[in-house]
Amino acid sequence: MIVAEPKPLEEIALSIAGYKNVLILGCGTCVSVCLTGGDKEAWILADELITSKYFKDTPPSFSVQTIERQCEKDMLEVYLKMPPETDAVLSMACGAGVQTVSEIFKTLPVLPALNTTFLGALEETRLWREKCQGCGNCILALTAGVCPVSRCAKKLFNGPCGGSSKGKCEISQEVDCAWQLIIDRLEGLGRIEDYGRIIPSRDWSTDRGGGPRKLIRPDRDSSISKS
Amino acid sequence: MSFFSVNNNCNGCLACVQNCPANALSHRDEESRRTLLHNMSLCARCGNCWRICPQKAVQFDGILNGAWDEVVTMELIHCTVCGEPLYTDGFKTALTGKLDYSLETLCPLHKKTFSLDAWRHLAFDDRTDEGSER
Repeated sequence: MIVAEPKPLEEIALSIAGYKNVLILGCGTCVSVCLTGGDKEAWILADELITSKYFKDTPPSFSVQTIERQCEKDMLEVYLKMPPETDAVLSMACGAGVQTVSEIFKTLPVLPALNTTFLGALEETRLWREKCQGCGNCILALTAGVCPVSRCAKKLFNGPCGGSSKGKCEISQEVDCAWQLIIDRLEGLGRIEDYGRIIPSRDWSTDRGGGPRKLIRPDRDSSISKS
Repeated sequence: MSFFSVNNNCNGCLACVQNCPANALSHRDEESRRTLLHNMSLCARCGNCWRICPQKAVQFDGILNGAWDEVVTMELIHCTVCGEPLYTDGFKTALTGKLDYSLETLCPLHKKTFSLDAWRHLAFDDRTDEGSER
């Protein structure tokens, strides 16, 4: 799931200062689940902005809407009803949502209220941890289901490094050494011999180094039956 | 009620069924009738059905802005002074078991002390230590 965190209120207020009618636009999927950009948070943000001390002049008037997914252009075009007089949109979506809304409303500034942070998993109530960087070439089959790209600070493919101590990473005692996790899990799976396999250098062009990526699924057209 | 609906343009082609990534759409053919089926608990609300329908028949509004379902209805306890709804009968019973006194049926305005005590107990409730006194 895409995980995001709220921007500081001061930064948000600064970004919308000078606008008169701002639509705070929540997003109903990932950022709702991670408690940062859903309908509830959109209303809370409106309240916080109205009462904030960060506007030198009169704060804008706020309206609030939430749409299921800000990252789907066709659905936005049909279902997002922009309130009249709106002169700026404060999007509570991830970066993909902010940019999609921007593409539709070409004359409206669309400003982010969140910092999109990572692809993560819910570890316990209200705690998400990064588990994937979308590198485009998954090696979890070789690493016992623990991702060294997202969970090793050095992204080592053949670890651990000398900074691993008692199962923790040298960057913080809060951070598990991903390679220790890999070894422990290989042992648990009875596949510790896999640890001796050298994972070769990889082609990082599937990652962001290859430029913006896209996905096309021409094979999934209406002629394909689910059964 | 059904969250998923189609307008009169639907001709039963099943493009939506074939393209639903969550297998939330299905159909039933019985004798001379075809029935389109939708399962909201499977639906990912992705809009793919709406997107690919060649007849523009899928009405996605119902899924985006569906009505509320009633889940359960319980007896309410009201403030004996002003009639403000306070809590359910079951909530009172559960809370009374954790307190060493009976809850008076008064709203916070009319009985601040008791109300604050009650909420304090709730705030420190420990699910791993059920039933213990604090």
